[in-house]
Amino acid sequence: MIRLYHVHKRYGDHEALVDVSVQVSKGEFAYVTGPSGAGKSTLLKLLYGAERPTSGKLLVGGVDASKLNQRQLPFLRRNIGVVFQDFKLIENRTVEDNVGLALEVLGTERGDIQRRVRAVLNVVGLKGKEGRLPLELSGGEQQRVAVARAIVNDPAVLLADEPTGNLDGAMAIEVMEILMAVNLRGTTVLVATHDAGLMERFPHRGLRFEGGRLVRS
Amino acid sequence: MMAHVLRRALRSLWENLSLNLVATAVISAATLLAGVYLAVMVNLTGVVDSWDRDVHISAYFFSDVPVDRRFAVKDELGARPEVAEVHYVSEQEAAAWLVDKVQDVEPVLAELGPEVLPSSLEITMADEANGPAQIAAFIDTIDYAEFEVIDYGQEWVQRFNTFLALLQVMGVVLGSLIFTAAVFLVGNTMHLVVYARKQELETMKLVGATWTFISLPFLLEGALQGLVGSGVALLGVYGLHRLLVFQLQDALQLAIGGEALSFLSWPACTGLLSAGVFLGVVGCLVSVHRFWRAAP
Ligand SMILES: Nc1ncnc2c1ncn2[C@@H]1O[C@H](COP(=O)(O)OP(=O)(O)OP(=O)(O)O)[C@@H](O)[C@H]1O
Ligand SMILES: [Mg+2]
Repeated sequence: MIRLYHVHKRYGDHEALVDVSVQVSKGEFAYVTGPSGAGKSTLLKLLYGAERPTSGKLLVGGVDASKLNQRQLPFLRRNIGVVFQDFKLIENRTVEDNVGLALEVLGTERGDIQRRVRAVLNVVGLKGKEGRLPLELSGGEQQRVAVARAIVNDPAVLLADEPTGNLDGAMAIEVMEILMAVNLRGTTVLVATHDAGLMERFPHRGLRFEGGRLVRS
Repeated sequence: MMAHVLRRALRSLWENLSLNLVATAVISAATLLAGVYLAVMVNLTGVVDSWDRDVHISAYFFSDVPVDRRFAVKDELGARPEVAEVHYVSEQEAAAWLVDKVQDVEPVLAELGPEVLPSSLEITMADEANGPAQIAAFIDTIDYAEFEVIDYGQEWVQRFNTFLALLQVMGVVLGSLIFTAAVFLVGNTMHLVVYARKQELETMKLVGATWTFISLPFLLEGALQGLVGSGVALLGVYGLHRLLVFQLQDALQLAIGGEALSFLSWPACTGLLSAGVFLGVVGCLVSVHRFWRAAP
């Protein structure tokens, strides 16, 4: 599902990723780990097309993400859900509107959007909170809205950059459990984190980065 | 899809009402300037045309020239090949003409006596002899002692035409400057609108919105700003026009010869409206595009 061949990423003269070659299969769950500045976020940005590699090649769901232009980018992203540490919800839109946005941009009909949004809010345990604004929810609930938005269009890949970074223990575990549930439905999930406790509790394959190099996979 | 675009455009208009009003006002000001300029040009050109059409030479008789001598001169001139037509205007006809053109002048004329205006010959040149040089040459050949003054408008028209040409050049130069400034101002105002919606637009890009999907509502927003802005400006130009017609009625009748001030033609109106829409659309698209390229 995800393949990297000798990927380099340089920012100016700083090497964020050095010669990374790795493969993640369809339906797999993997952590991206390593100390701060190791290149975890950079890897995810390359995967969802926010950055291009300086050299090397990467494929996501069969799409070559190393040479995308702005016109092709949306079509890569429709197959990838992304979750961030800071949720990135739209503050003046309801939960339902926030999640529905991912379907709206596909041109889905309103009735269809409503039906699917309600279904996915059920999956993440937010039934009945459709009309709330993000700031009326707890951090854990907000992150679950973000996960709902990322998976509402059934992407093949879910990328999460420190999804539990802003959450305390119980809420972090809730969110992790939802990510695992998503994975069980067949979605390939990649979670960047340096929370050793979580990785111990939910053991999975780990891709460890140090100074931009993949040191263990 | 269209319903969706419309909904988002209206929401954006509503949620950033004051910024949208600023953009609309900028467009309005720019098109108002253009409209006033066009209206002035249309009317000045109209004046020149009406003069040009009846370039004629007025040769005024001394008041002691006997009437039969006046007609003899008229016939001599009428026989010249350069001349299309000669018309004799008596003192009474001249006075009647003035009374007809200018309100309230009658008592003044009565006071001065009916023969205060001189009699004259109105000479209309044949079309092929109508050039400024030919007219000047012709005038040199008609130095009858009976004429007190020989008057013709051509020189004036010439100067006025030069002035108009200058005005046109200035209009194009200033117009382009104003247009550029307006695009810039609208662009920057819309940049604030885009910035206010940054979160939403970034999220939309992140979940796979295309450029068309993101930009269409802004395009519509810009078009609406342009339409409203230039519509208001047109109304403003029309208001000014009515006001001037009302205020200057009498003076205008004398200068232009009875024709009222003309308003902008339909093509000019639609042109102004389109220019406003173009301004709004370009301003909006420029700022959304700037955002679109920079967003992750
Ligand atoms: N846009 C950028 N311009 C310049 N340097 C950058 C940019 N983005 C990242 N870097 C650098 O690249 C390196 C890797 O950054 P990255 O964000 O991938 O680290 P990370 O592993 O996600 O760290 P953290 O755990 O703190 O999130 C860092 O040294 C960072 O300073
Ligand atoms: Mg990071």
